[in-house]
Amino acid sequence: MSRFPLLLSLLLVLYGGIAQAADRKDAELALAQASTAVQAARRDDAQTYAPADFATAQTTLNTSLEAFDARAWTNSLIYAERARVDGELAGARSRQVRAETAATELERSLDTLRAQVSAGGAP
Amino acid sequence: MNARTVSLAVALALTGCVSVPPAPPAEVVRLQNELDRLHRDPRVVDNGGVELSNADIAVNSLARDYRVLDVTEREQRVYVADRLVQIAEASGRARAAEQHSRDLGAERERLLARAGTRDVVAPPQIVERRVMESSEWLPPERRTLMAIQSRLPNMESQLDARGLVVRFSEYQFQPGRSEPTPTAERSLDQLARVLREEPATHVAVEGIGGDGDRALALDRADAVRDYLDARGVEPARVTVRSADPSSVRDRRVDVVILAAR
Repeated sequence: MSRFPLLLSLLLVLYGGIAQAADRKDAELALAQASTAVQAARRDDAQTYAPADFATAQTTLNTSLEAFDARAWTNSLIYAERARVDGELAGARSRQVRAETAATELERSLDTLRAQVSAGGAP
Repeated sequence: MNARTVSLAVALALTGCVSVPPAPPAEVVRLQNELDRLHRDPRVVDNGGVELSNADIAVNSLARDYRVLDVTEREQRVYVADRLVQIAEASGRARAAEQHSRDLGAERERLLARAGTRDVVAPPQIVERRVMESSEWLPPERRTLMAIQSRLPNMESQLDARGLVVRFSEYQFQPGRSEPTPTAERSLDQLARVLREEPATHVAVEGIGGDGDRALALDRADAVRDYLDARGVEPARVTVRSADPSSVRDRRVDVVILAAR
């Protein structure tokens, strides 16, 4: 079993604590995870292939950082969690766009090759 | 109406309230419908993996806990569950497209083999058996290349007059750009590891593209050399050159490995 369901379970348990005040440590941890997710999305070229989703993730991360600077730990935690899933979504959308674009390109190339082979000519 | 009738009416009303569960809130219903749609989509349900499981857990636990959550918690969990559903869809569709590309690549190999325009790529296990059983008569450099080929599983490669050719097709680079895709980077990581272990080999990186694609093909060849350089393959062992395509649509980078004589 992957670690992700475990992380998700922990996340759901943590939500039980949102109503109570989060502390600096909680906010720092959530910010680190959010920042990692947004960086991963950047490495996945989300700026190019999923620009709207990436911009949302970046904006939400900035909001979390501002709340952290203002020592509003609970707000920082809430926005960091949102930035994390926004970053993961941007990365996933980027991978989807690139994979579907590559498949479409391959299909076109293969159509040409099929036509050449069935016509008896060398590709 | 007497007191007994009123009591009976109140009791019946209360019984009705208890026996009919409250309808789930609209935003939870929307997420459940989205999740049902993903479970009916073969691209997602077959490839959703852990992301689809995460979305299931998030939506189901939200539906269960919704009425005991305060407003802030509700908003947060609806937001996260909504994103997890979208992540599951994007991840599943990405994997489905990657699998489709692999299938198309295999079909391309079959068509090219049938057309007789190139050597058929030997599966790695067959190459290895050849090395073990019947390679004594081959020149040593050819045997070296065959052994290297056997250590590059899952990569498109062939032995021809140039040497051991590892092919990076058009779709293994970002569209219109020189950067390799993450999948191609994993292949390059594997190639770099083998080249580091075979310091006596030399490498020619050929950027192949027609008139309109020659500059991009060369940029991609440069990018492959730089990637190998960054992973410990000495630049002195690597040359970059441009090569003519076999057809107008032929755009690729060939990494030609040459064993020292």
